[in-house]
Amino acid sequence: MKKVDLSVEFCGLRFPNPFVLAAAPPTDDAEMIARGFDAGWGGAVVKTLGLEHVEVNLVSPMMAGLSYEDKGLIGLENIDLISDRDINEVLAEVSELKKSYPEQVLIVSMMAGSEKEWKEITRRVQAAGADMIECSFSCPHGMPEKGMGSAVGQDAALTYERAKWVVEAAEVPVLIKLTPNVTDMRPIAQKVKDAGAAGVTAINTVKALLGFDLDTFSPIPSVNGKSTEGGFSGPAIKPIALRFVADVARDVGIPVAGVGGVVTWKDSVEFLLAGAGIVEVCTAVMRYGFDIVEELNEGLALYLEDKGMSSPMDLIGLGLSNIVSHEALSREYKAIATIDEDLCVGCGQCVIACRDGGHQAIEFRGRQEDGSLSDADDARIPEVDDEKCIGCGFCRTVCPVDACITMKERVESTP
Amino acid sequence: MANTSAAQASLEETGRSYAPHEAVIEASRCLMCDEPPCNTGCPAGVDVRRFVRKIRFGNHRGATRLIREANIMVGICGRVCPQEMLCMEHCTRTNLDTPIDIAGLQRFAGDVELASLAPLPDSVKDRPERVAVIGAGPAGLGAAVELRKRGVGVSIFEKSDVIGGVLTRGIPPFRLDQTFAAEELDYVQRLGAEVQLKQIAPEPAELLGKGFSAVFIGIGLGRPYTIGLEGEDLPQVYVASDLLIAIARGERPDLGSRVVVIGGGNVAMDAAMAALRLGAERVDLCCLESYEEMPAFRSEIEEVQSEGIVFHTRTRPVRIVAEGNKVVGYEGVGISWKEPGLLTPSNAVDVPGTEFGLAADSIIEAIGTGVLDRFEGVETDERGIVRTEPETMATTFSGVFAGGDVVSGGATAVRAYAEGKRAAEGIIAFLDSRDTEGGGR
Repeated sequence: MKKVDLSVEFCGLRFPNPFVLAAAPPTDDAEMIARGFDAGWGGAVVKTLGLEHVEVNLVSPMMAGLSYEDKGLIGLENIDLISDRDINEVLAEVSELKKSYPEQVLIVSMMAGSEKEWKEITRRVQAAGADMIECSFSCPHGMPEKGMGSAVGQDAALTYERAKWVVEAAEVPVLIKLTPNVTDMRPIAQKVKDAGAAGVTAINTVKALLGFDLDTFSPIPSVNGKSTEGGFSGPAIKPIALRFVADVARDVGIPVAGVGGVVTWKDSVEFLLAGAGIVEVCTAVMRYGFDIVEELNEGLALYLEDKGMSSPMDLIGLGLSNIVSHEALSREYKAIATIDEDLCVGCGQCVIACRDGGHQAIEFRGRQEDGSLSDADDARIPEVDDEKCIGCGFCRTVCPVDACITMKERVESTP
Repeated sequence: MANTSAAQASLEETGRSYAPHEAVIEASRCLMCDEPPCNTGCPAGVDVRRFVRKIRFGNHRGATRLIREANIMVGICGRVCPQEMLCMEHCTRTNLDTPIDIAGLQRFAGDVELASLAPLPDSVKDRPERVAVIGAGPAGLGAAVELRKRGVGVSIFEKSDVIGGVLTRGIPPFRLDQTFAAEELDYVQRLGAEVQLKQIAPEPAELLGKGFSAVFIGIGLGRPYTIGLEGEDLPQVYVASDLLIAIARGERPDLGSRVVVIGGGNVAMDAAMAALRLGAERVDLCCLESYEEMPAFRSEIEEVQSEGIVFHTRTRPVRIVAEGNKVVGYEGVGISWKEPGLLTPSNAVDVPGTEFGLAADSIIEAIGTGVLDRFEGVETDERGIVRTEPETMATTFSGVFAGGDVVSGGATAVRAYAEGKRAAEGIIAFLDSRDTEGGGR
């Protein structure tokens, strides 16, 4: 068996493992980052810094969660801003932190306005000892009004111009963090590449309106009765993040730091398969604490071992060639729902799903002419009508039993 | 006896209701089956799948109203129904892991909207007829509610000073809070039924002659059986149902530190648990049946066991030991059955050498109850159990219907309620047919 080494090389830097704390509240303070490194994180992106004159005026509350039945916090919305701390103080901490943790990769996120400012902040961050720079072109609230954040990342020309300024001033690799609040990220990521940046971080939060208070009619989080559109993160946005990561990795061919909704090692494997070179995590850390990196590291290592692979880098982009256009999908392959009678518990959710959400192809074996069920022992076993099943696969998604309904290739009987 | 001290602490209702978010989480476990088997398990015809779905999707008040439409005992049945033998027994989720806690969800629904706040059903056209309901227990209430909803006038005659029958007089407060029960059941008066408490009903023939168009008998089983031992009339020998009524009234009799309960049914279980809560240090429960044969609900037997009560199964009472006017002990003997499967005292034979004695400050007899009152012209069996036509619950006396324990010989509150409902249907059909025969009035 090959020995697994979780370390990865990304944009010319060696990370002890691919798991990196994203720029967010958990990285607003060196003491917190140190605890994260102690817990096992391979790197951290220090919460976005601005220059001294940038006023950061926070509101409260600035966060609210989306829950669904027993799934608490499937998404988190924030109307937080960049760090409100003094840049000099934070950069002094960065220098100290770098000395204490030489192995871990310390990335500093930053945001600025003019060319002069971008170049100045780049030099100062670099001088403090940052291993890498991440530029936020992507925060969807608070900053766009000032011509920063996602106002930049939604515009290819602005992205190119600003990325170029930073690259010109930088001696360390530069990542540009992009926003998903665009129809297509690829032309913008291409500009990042053209500007000479080392890579792209994707995605920042998804612009969203989380909901309303049904009594006060105020959106949430309600700041004294009012709210604003914010940035949505957490497990709910993972599919959106994966799509952008794959788009950029496949069609632009630039290293990607994947971020968006990662909770488990399985999520991280998906990001690697979609072409991410490292995986950033925020919401799950805020919710469960720095310790969850233990499950990420161990789970990924065991998975690689099972697959006979020795490095997370072996996984990068492996899923990309299987993402094709809709036209390129096979029309010869026909699937059919197949129900394992031994596993079936007889709930009939597939019957309802196919009746009202499909093609009326599944029915209880015991259904009688008058619509009632017979008393037979196997009356509650659902059966698939070969003629009517179009193989959509919806029944499989509602079945409460793992592997009870599978989509099998339809074998046409010879006439 | 690990739990004894906790049990002793209070006669207050045990357990607690789900908080709204907990109810939603539990409801979200529901598989929302097609042709849901749980629905077939409820005697009162509650649409379980629909009420669970309403909770799941945040329509809590809708859930309460849906249940109340079928059964006004929303929170009551959530507490006292043996759901594990009814709706929950059929739950499909059991095939996957554990059944949905339908009882707990119904208890939650009962808290969402108290009956005193619930809207009344859309007004129905009042009919001219009036029906006399004898007994305000679950059966009588089931009949009265259904009749009122169909516009029929109802007068309920109740001998005691409270409605609810066994719910407010027999079930101890640690199972069902009596104030809550009374409030929930008061819905029947809001529906417009007239309730006459402390009122002994006239004979059916007299009622029918006094302008009532039909009569429903739902008197339950009011006569406790006794064993016939010497010393049964001593003040420390209690009949379980009387003791439970006293507790329901707020009395707290001193049973001493050693209590022997005789009987293997639910009332015996309740009495044993009540004895612990009244301060007994040790409670022994003696019954004819083996553990498997005991007629009490499994859940209640397990609860009693968990409280440290000592069982003496397959035994029969031999002697109440007294010193002067005071009970000091109890003697019993092990038995076997002459004829297997027939669980009656006359079928028991003593097993020599199994005699035993227990110290006792009080003895509680809970060996069953029989019919107290009979009615002229209403045919019964030799025990007084009223014969009815099962579809309509009509007795042999035309215009007189019956339901509940006086017909079944003893079953659950929900079944009694369901029989009352069925009788109401029978009564409506009877009234309609009489109108037709009479050529209109």
